[in-house]
Amino acid sequence: MARRLTGAEILLESLIAEGVDTVFGYPGGSIITVYDKMYHYGDRLRHVLVRHEQGAIHAAQGYARATGRPGVVIVTSGPGATNVITGVADAMVDSTPVVVITGQVGNAMLGTDAFQETDVVGMTGPIDKWTYQIRRSEDVAQAVAKAFHIAGTGRPGPVVLDFTRDAQVGEADFEYRPCTHIRSYALPAPASETAIDAAARLIDEAERPFVVFGQGVVLSHAEEQLMAFLKKGGIPAASTMLGLSALPSDFPYYVGMAGMHGNIASNMMTQHCDVLIAVGMRFSDRVTGNPSTYAPRAKVIHIDVDRTEIGKIIPVDVGILGDAAEVLERLTDRIRFSFHDEWAALARRYDRVEAEKVSGPETAPAEGPINMGEVVSQVAELSGRRAVIVTDVGQNQLMGARYSRFAQTRSFISSGGLGTMGFGLPAAIGAKIGAPDRQVCVFVGDGGIQMTLQEFGTIMQEGTAVKVVLLNNNWLGNVRQWQELFYERRYSQTRMLNPDYSLIAKAYGIRYRCVEDRAELADAVREMLDAPEAFLLDARVREEGMVYPMVPGGRRMDEILLNKDEWYRDGE
Amino acid sequence: MENSSMYIISVYSENQVGLLSSISNIFTRRGINIESLTVFPSEFPGIHHFTFRAITTEHAAQQVVGFIEKKVEVVRAFYFPDNATSAAEHGILEDYLKNRNQ
Repeated sequence: MARRLTGAEILLESLIAEGVDTVFGYPGGSIITVYDKMYHYGDRLRHVLVRHEQGAIHAAQGYARATGRPGVVIVTSGPGATNVITGVADAMVDSTPVVVITGQVGNAMLGTDAFQETDVVGMTGPIDKWTYQIRRSEDVAQAVAKAFHIAGTGRPGPVVLDFTRDAQVGEADFEYRPCTHIRSYALPAPASETAIDAAARLIDEAERPFVVFGQGVVLSHAEEQLMAFLKKGGIPAASTMLGLSALPSDFPYYVGMAGMHGNIASNMMTQHCDVLIAVGMRFSDRVTGNPSTYAPRAKVIHIDVDRTEIGKIIPVDVGILGDAAEVLERLTDRIRFSFHDEWAALARRYDRVEAEKVSGPETAPAEGPINMGEVVSQVAELSGRRAVIVTDVGQNQLMGARYSRFAQTRSFISSGGLGTMGFGLPAAIGAKIGAPDRQVCVFVGDGGIQMTLQEFGTIMQEGTAVKVVLLNNNWLGNVRQWQELFYERRYSQTRMLNPDYSLIAKAYGIRYRCVEDRAELADAVREMLDAPEAFLLDARVREEGMVYPMVPGGRRMDEILLNKDEWYRDGE
Repeated sequence: MENSSMYIISVYSENQVGLLSSISNIFTRRGINIESLTVFPSEFPGIHHFTFRAITTEHAAQQVVGFIEKKVEVVRAFYFPDNATSAAEHGILEDYLKNRNQ
């Protein structure tokens, strides 16, 4: 039996029908009707009031990445909408399912430069998966159903519903029907038999096969299938940054992270392999360096659910369009049991060099100030590798990626493709709300934390027990690193004067501890992890800390800097 | 460097507000100038036919078509060197829709 409801109520009922229990948002003039109706939905829908709309969308992203369910954002028109744009672009490039509802002025005022009117459809169209302007209350339920279908299927991404005032206040019959089919939007079909056969043949003939996997493995729930595939083929595998935690860090075939600041083994083996199997990744320039010199000896098999990714950057010998879990399962059936022990063992040799030259000195220095990697490594070990690690962007992110250890999937959340500073703190709030039973730690620099610092207010109001690890070096460290290496130490605008974070923490009622002395580090990390509430650990780290190894931008992936003066030399 | 020449990019799509702008953005983002554009209802009910002509490389044309097809409302997109006949593309679309309905 259809019920007669306003568009605003239909929106809320539709969200609940889609299984949504939490939304992140901020009220305003053009969305006030929705907030008015929300007043009566408190027991069915939790609304997290953020301090800035950018915080809402990053929190929704964190929520989506931790849970696998779409994050939902409700904001007002005009500045509310433009403030979420960074997050929309971020969610698009990182394939994060997010449904954004922006208020909009009344239909008659569209295009008149009305107060807080802006062209949301025009602005978000190029950077999201789908945008739709709802102008009639009769269309609300169907638009929400389509939005969730599009956001969560295929290659996930953000969708934006621009919700005009007329559609909010008008009435319509409500009956919810989930969307399962859109005639112009094809869901992933089973992969081509021919392509799978061709790939299996290449893999069986390979002497030095190598897998690089990305977040696609997590998004398609293909972790088990990937492990089975690697075991049967005896194939070593590297992860992109966003693929981290899809395999446990101690999985025998796992050789580490690929890319600019990845592990030596990953990058060297990419350059030496004779068959490269790319699974659910997109050959970002941070992974490939100069693409024309990437994996020069390899025949390339690329498995992806997005047709435009196959062959976009790296030409492929076999492209397999399909869902990673399905493709890997069929591919595993098709390949022979193989061993490539000598090849796989190479990773250990590279690891020894990396441990001696880079990781050892970074995580266990004898003296001097605390290193960033040391803090990350302590958090990993003292949390039993079970924490969800969130990062901001910059050195904190690279250190967080390099020195965290993972035992379960969906444990690494970071802004990869867009590299959005300010992502970390709100994303951690969303992750903790989505996964309240897990420990959530965010690594953030003193630059990034000040971009969304106001979200401490959200933590205070919601009581979200996020553990914030501030890697505080008084610099915009990653840019400073580039200036030191490539711009003759001209530290242009990278020195940053910091506020007193103890007072900021106090102002927001958040527990705080500052640690400067190595002898206190483990105790400070333990205190933070044991705290039942939110905690800000202000780790004063080495000011001129550097992230190595590093393949400078545009280079070959085997041109690896171990420190300022030393390049890695293969075979030594 | 691949040679540039005139390509026809032919798009069959639901005709929704804002779609033309987001399709043309795919050209803009890659610095490709659109030489001409026509939009007509196609012979398939509710589906419009957009025909773009632009000077570009085959690789770029292929990429543009891929990204256009990613738009939710787009049913199918094709590219041809400017000498192909439109009859050919209609034939391909018809086959595609037939297969899809099976």
